[in-house]
Amino acid sequence: MDKKILMVDDDTDLINIYKPVLEKEGYTVETAYDSVEGLEKFKEFNPPVVVVDLAMEHFDSGFVLCHRIKKLPNTENVRVIIMTSAGHDTGIRFSTDTDEEKNWIKADDYLEKPISPRDLVQYLSEKIFKELED
Amino acid sequence: MRIEQGKILVVDDELGMREGIRRILEMYGHNVDTASNGTEGIEKGIANEYDLYFIDLRMPDVEGTQVLREIKLVYPEAICVIVTAYASIETAVETTRLGAYQYIPKPFEPDELQILVNRALERRWYILEARRLREEQERRLLQVAHEQSRMRTIINSLDDGIMVINQEGQVVLFNPGFIKLLNVESKIEVGDKVWQFLPDELNKQLREIFSKKEQVKAIQQEIIIHPPAKLVIMANTTPIIDKGELLGVVSVLRDISELKKIDIMRSQFVDMAAHELKSPLSAVQGYLELVVDKTLGDDPDLYENYLKRSLDRTKSLVNLINDLLNVTRLEAGKVRREINRQDISELLSERLNFMKNDIKEHNLEVRISGTEQLFVDADRIDLQRLFTQVISNAIQYNRENGSITINGSRNGHYIRIDVTDTGIGMRPEDKERLFEDFFRAKNEHTREITGTGLGLTIVKKIVDAYAGKIEIESEYEKGTTFSVFLPASKME
Repeated sequence: MDKKILMVDDDTDLINIYKPVLEKEGYTVETAYDSVEGLEKFKEFNPPVVVVDLAMEHFDSGFVLCHRIKKLPNTENVRVIIMTSAGHDTGIRFSTDTDEEKNWIKADDYLEKPISPRDLVQYLSEKIFKELED
Repeated sequence: MRIEQGKILVVDDELGMREGIRRILEMYGHNVDTASNGTEGIEKGIANEYDLYFIDLRMPDVEGTQVLREIKLVYPEAICVIVTAYASIETAVETTRLGAYQYIPKPFEPDELQILVNRALERRWYILEARRLREEQERRLLQVAHEQSRMRTIINSLDDGIMVINQEGQVVLFNPGFIKLLNVESKIEVGDKVWQFLPDELNKQLREIFSKKEQVKAIQQEIIIHPPAKLVIMANTTPIIDKGELLGVVSVLRDISELKKIDIMRSQFVDMAAHELKSPLSAVQGYLELVVDKTLGDDPDLYENYLKRSLDRTKSLVNLINDLLNVTRLEAGKVRREINRQDISELLSERLNFMKNDIKEHNLEVRISGTEQLFVDADRIDLQRLFTQVISNAIQYNRENGSITINGSRNGHYIRIDVTDTGIGMRPEDKERLFEDFFRAKNEHTREITGTGLGLTIVKKIVDAYAGKIEIESEYEKGTTFSVFLPASKME
C-alpha cells in the first residue's frame, strides 16, 4: 500500500501543520487549496487516502469533491475523509454512520476540527491505512 | 318631588291679570316670562320649553285654545293651565281634550294659584324624570348595540384567528383571520360542527379540554400547516368557564412563521460563527502542539514561525469576535448614535492616517479628490467603522505598488464616495454574495488575506441605518470600486 495522502484545505496554516508531521511519519503528502485543484491532484497523484475540508470556496465544495472522486473509475477503495469544523455541534448535521449515509455523502468518515496533529497521524496510520492493508 | 324654581310663561292680554300672576309666582321664587297676546304667546312658548304655561282663553288676536294647540304640537308633554273668566263644563272638556293640564277660573286667590302651581310643578318633575330615564335607557341601548358592533369589528380586524366552540362542539364565533390561517373558506358556518376542518393538533387540544371533567388550563402548541403555504401557527386553546361549568372553548391562532424564520436565521448565524471561530483555533492549537511537543526536531526558526502564525491567527480571532459583537449590536439596534455634522474630507484624511502603515506595507499610492465641502449628519464612530472597512478592503485586496483612488461628489440629496483599487477584483458570482455573513471570496489571490467575512455585513448595516446605499463595480483581476451613498447634511 502506497503511503500517499492528498490533503485538500483552503487554510494554509492547517496544511503547514499537518503536512510535515505526516511526512515525518513516512507519508508522501500532496496538497490542494480548493476542490478543482484537489480533483486534478487526485488524478495525477492517485493516493489511497484523501483528507478534505468541507467549506472551501463554497460551503459544500468538500462534498462535491467527494462525489467527483468517487465517480472516477477504480476509486471504490479510496478512503475519502472529511475534516471540518462544521460538525454536529455547529448544527450542520451529517454523519457517515450508516452505509446509506456513506453512500449519499460519498465520504468514508469524518473528523471534527480542531484535531491535533498527533491524533490525525494516529488516526490515519492506526485506523485508515491499517484497514486498507488488511 | 317637584321643581322648586320653575320656568313659567304667562300669556294674557289683560295687563292687571298678567302682572298679578307674575308677582305672585315670583314671590314663590319662580322665573316668569310674559306674553301680552296669543301670537307672542305662541312665539315665546315655542322658542323655549317652559315648565309651566298659563294661557288666557279669550284673547283678541288668537284664541287660548289655539295657543295651547301650537305649544302642545311642539312640546306634547308641556303642562298648560288655562285661565278663564267663563268657566263652564264645555270649556273644561274642550281644553282637557286639547291636552291642558288644568283650568283655573278667574278671579282666583293667591293661595289657590300656589297650590295649583305646586301640583303642576310636581307633575312636571315626574315628567322630566321619566324623560331623563327614557333617554338614558335609549342611550344605553344604543351604547350596547354600538359596543357589540364595535367588538365584532375589533374581532374581525384581528390578524389572529379566533374561534369559539360551545359544549355541543358547534362553532359559535369565528373571524376572517381564522378562515385565512386554516384556509377553510366557505367550509364553515356558525352552528356547524367543525372538527373535521381543523388540523389534528387543534382537534386534539379541543378534545382534551372537553373530555376532562376537572378544569384544564390553557393549552399552547405550535402547529405546522402545509397547503397552500407553509405556516407555523401558535394555537392557544382555553376553556370558557362560568360558575364552574364548562361552556365551551376559545382557540386563538397566531401566525408565527416570520418569528420562526428569524429563529432559524439566528441559529444559522450562530452555527456559522462557531464554524468561523473554530478555524483559527484549529490552526493555533495545531501550531502550539508542534511547538510544545517539538514534533519536528529542534529548529528554533521553524517554531518561531509557528508562534508568529499562532499570534496572527489569534489576532484574527479577536477581530472576528469584535466583528461578531458589532454585527449583533447593530442588529439588536443597541447602538447609541450621537448624530453630528461630519466633514467627510477631514474624516477620510484621519482614516488614511490611521491606516498609513498598512498602506506603506503594500506600497500603495493614494489619490483623493472632490471630498471638500461634503458633509453628512452621522455618528462619528459609525463613519469611521464604515470607511475603515471600505479602505481596508481596498488595501487588502490590492496588488503591490497599486493605487487607491478616493473620489467624492454630490449626487442630488446624497453625497457619494467612490473608493477604487487596482486589486484582484472579483468574479461576478462572488460579487453577488459579498454581503452574506461570513462570505469571503476564495481564489488563489485571496489565500493569504485574512478577514472575518463580516466587514461588509457591518458596512451594509451602517449604510442602511442612515438610509444610504452601497454599490460595487468590479472586474476580476483588474480592480474594484465601492461607492458609498449617504444623505447629505441638513445642518447649516
